Amino acid sequence: MPVVTLYLDRLQRLVGKTSKEKIISTLPFLGLDIEEQTDQYIRVEYSPNRPDYATDFGIAAGLQGLLGIKKGLVKLDVKRGPYQLKADQSVRKVRPYVTAIVAKNGNLDNETIRQLITLQEDLHFGIGRNRKKSSIGIHDLDKIEFPIRYTTATKEHRFVPLGSETESTISDILQNTEAGLQYGKLLENAEAMPIILDAKGNTISFPPIINSALTTVSSSTKNLLVEVTATDKNTAEDTLSVVAATLQNAGFLLTSVQISGANNTTPLLKTKKMNLGVELTNKILGLKMSSSVIATALKKCRLDALPKRNNISCTIPRFRFDILGPMDLIEEVALGYGIENLKPTLPQSSAVGQKNIVTKQLDLLSKIMVGLGFTEALNSSLVSKNIQYGMTNRDSFGFIQVVESKSQEHTILRDMLLPSMLDTLSRNVHEQYPQKLFEIGTVFSADDPIKEEISLCCISAHKDANYSEIKSILQSTLKTGFNIECETKTSTHFCFAKGKTADVIAKNSKIGAIGEIDPAIVENFKLRMPVVAFEIKLSGLIFN
Amino acid sequence: MVILSQVLHPIEKKIINALKETEKLNIEELEQKTNLSSDQVRRGIEWLKLKGLADIIESQETKHKLSSAGSEVLKSGLPERKLVNLLNEGPKTFDEAKQSLSESDFHAAIANAKRNDWIQIEKDDSTTKISLKVQDPPSSAEEKVLQEINQGNFDQNALYHDQNQHEKLVGYFRLKKLGLIEEIVKKSKTVSLTEKAKDIDTSEKGLAEIDVEAAIPATFVARAHPLKEVINEIREIFTSLGFTEVLGNFTQPSFWNFDALFTPQDHPAREMQDTFYIKGYTSDKVASPAQIRQVSKSHKLGWRYNWNIEEAKKMVLRTHTTCVTIKYLADQKPDEARIFSLGRVFRNEKVSYKHLAEFNQVEGIVVGKDVTLRDLMGLQQEFYRKMGLPKVKFWPTFFPYTEPSLQSMVYNERLGKWVELFGMGIFRPEVTKPLGITKPVLAWGGGIERIAMLKYGLDDVREFYNNNLGWLRTAIQCQ
Repeated sequence: MPVVTLYLDRLQRLVGKTSKEKIISTLPFLGLDIEEQTDQYIRVEYSPNRPDYATDFGIAAGLQGLLGIKKGLVKLDVKRGPYQLKADQSVRKVRPYVTAIVAKNGNLDNETIRQLITLQEDLHFGIGRNRKKSSIGIHDLDKIEFPIRYTTATKEHRFVPLGSETESTISDILQNTEAGLQYGKLLENAEAMPIILDAKGNTISFPPIINSALTTVSSSTKNLLVEVTATDKNTAEDTLSVVAATLQNAGFLLTSVQISGANNTTPLLKTKKMNLGVELTNKILGLKMSSSVIATALKKCRLDALPKRNNISCTIPRFRFDILGPMDLIEEVALGYGIENLKPTLPQSSAVGQKNIVTKQLDLLSKIMVGLGFTEALNSSLVSKNIQYGMTNRDSFGFIQVVESKSQEHTILRDMLLPSMLDTLSRNVHEQYPQKLFEIGTVFSADDPIKEEISLCCISAHKDANYSEIKSILQSTLKTGFNIECETKTSTHFCFAKGKTADVIAKNSKIGAIGEIDPAIVENFKLRMPVVAFEIKLSGLIFN
Repeated sequence: MVILSQVLHPIEKKIINALKETEKLNIEELEQKTNLSSDQVRRGIEWLKLKGLADIIESQETKHKLSSAGSEVLKSGLPERKLVNLLNEGPKTFDEAKQSLSESDFHAAIANAKRNDWIQIEKDDSTTKISLKVQDPPSSAEEKVLQEINQGNFDQNALYHDQNQHEKLVGYFRLKKLGLIEEIVKKSKTVSLTEKAKDIDTSEKGLAEIDVEAAIPATFVARAHPLKEVINEIREIFTSLGFTEVLGNFTQPSFWNFDALFTPQDHPAREMQDTFYIKGYTSDKVASPAQIRQVSKSHKLGWRYNWNIEEAKKMVLRTHTTCVTIKYLADQKPDEARIFSLGRVFRNEKVSYKHLAEFNQVEGIVVGKDVTLRDLMGLQQEFYRKMGLPKVKFWPTFFPYTEPSLQSMVYNERLGKWVELFGMGIFRPEVTKPLGITKPVLAWGGGIERIAMLKYGLDDVREFYNNNLGWLRTAIQCQ
């Protein structure tokens, strides 16, 4: 989840008449989790569905609502401007959509710039899907000659990229800059490179990789051009709407850019109308509110709401694209009403709970094992290939693997419990013996579809551990648990020593193996005691 | 009577009893009197000494005995005595004496007899004649020592302290040098009781008592895993609140893990860096054709993209237990239900003190035509109260498939702060409608290890899967 740093003096100034304490105690009720708190600043985590909370401007607007300082919708005021942006047909196969807006007469202090950069990064990461779906360029308007053109170029096209003083080719940028290396793969299959040029032919941007140095924004910049390129038209406007609303909150005057060409149009950034039923709202929240109480709650969430008899007519700003339907509005009502004012109740209906039969039987089996003197261990189902195969001297094939695991310890799904149990013993060689352990857990077979079964593994290590001991445990387990007479048939198994291994037979079919662990494997796990074990599948015993 | 903090071992009591009869005894004597083995006696007296109940005096005694050569000499006489015996018949010349005695004996005999002042030697022109000064002279110092040793009444220490015995001491050393006598050094321990020990009750009744205050080796209890105990407790609570458990596979088609829950196919949570995809596995039949059709439509409408069935077929390790509950609801379409799902879930995370790649999650679901958000809060509160966590508060939050969504915070006394626990919400219509679920669905759940950490006071979540016997054997069970 993204995190934003809020300087308390600045935030208090933006919110208006209230104390810092009140601000801090209200933040969680906007859905913001406090991560860190000092006297100067506070770091909060916000939900990815509220990118407008990526800056203190957006959070201040939210706080004003909940604190009753300012209620209702902040209207987006976009003046009509002379600016024009035209898209060429060639972008359709590369990155088809573009949109833009101009923001004028603002004051950019360093903190505001930092907040805008955070907003941009979070939008890139969230709805921009790591710049794949949409990406934003913010430019110094005064360096740009209109009309501008969204077009394509070859990889030989040259310009001075942001943060550099010399011209590079696009090839160079893709191969030798951090941004190029990180995002270049988004253009891997592109026929041509998307670029934005101004009327003088200067390159403004190379989306979604990097801006040009020419239009670099600094604290002396007064006027901005914001452009968004995207693979989806709606996402382009969603993205733009958040930046536009933030810049207006930051004191800029918004001016439109006329967009045309290749199915692109000027963004409308219009509000959305939605009706919310009083009955539904009360039914979901368990309250008996009048339509005006509901409307007040919605206004505290910076929406416009007009109460009628049975419903409320709501107006939703463009950047609240997280509101899809009435349930989203009901959440806004709950927030505006105050979560702390919702008193918990219990459902009127009643039900009789029932234990799951499998869970219950596994629990009973676990009690038998404890009664036999065995302590329960828990291991991961995702195990390391080395322990599952290498350490048990087993040929590794037919295992089920996960893709791109972040940990070498968790790469394949276990097909038996025993290797992890041996690993457990090897990590406990300094502890008092005898060591007697069991595990009940899911094992996986590489059938199609994958077969999941539950196994029981029981292991005993001490200086006198022997086959008779473990067979006696198996015998008691099967007899006490399932009234099955235990049958063991001479066999061989990679884990067990030759001549000291048997198949476990129950109801005429093989359910597992038992024996003394092969001394070579005991050695692999650096165990200094004899080890005996059995592992059986519980399918057919507990399950059918 | 002195009351002692120690209770005595039977061995100790037997030794005390023997010493009450005879004030001082050595080990051999103790063995005889107590019928204990030498080892037991030795151990017993050490214990008593440590407890301040016995004094042990170690002494060293040197005894002497005749060597085999010495015994021979005792019978045949020293060379000088052999000479005396010869001269008793009358004076002899050197040559005659030499003939009767051996060559080596002869020189010793002459020298020693002269020193003893037994003989006189007269020389004339041709011969040297030896004669006794006194007929049958009395025993020499050497002879006396030999006799005493043989009879066992030789006392070497006495010789050192008596000036008049000087001759005898010299004789002793001479015999020792000749190898006729041997020294035997014998160490011995003499045991006696201290004052404190004399009052101890060693009656038969006393013998039945044991040292109940002594330290003893640890016995470890066999037990279920501490995390399993928490899991079982949670199951009990859910059952007591009227919930029934449903089970499901760990491996799931993406359809039930993501698509059915309205998670768009390009959502970051679906990427390989967050979710474990199973290599080479897809599911042929993820759901019924109607379910697939409706879910596809819901995604197109809500997220405005072309939903792809191939993505939905990819097999993943479930990232939450919601895939189990949603499938149950989609298949059963109950108008009223209370179910829960509990088990392992997986995230492709770097393992750390606060994150695991595989952990347990529980999720409860209530379906009913009149259920409300306040009911969901009430159920939470009741659940936590039963878990022993009475202080609960709620904050808004965001989950992709519920609306409204809340998170619960519980106050932890040990940490002295509010801790975020289960999340909750009402399933979005975009989730329920396509699957034919018409009544509101309350859902809540979260990780179980978090609760277990609070319960066992752990700061590192990995401890639950380390199987560290030191911890498994000692984690406090009844709390």
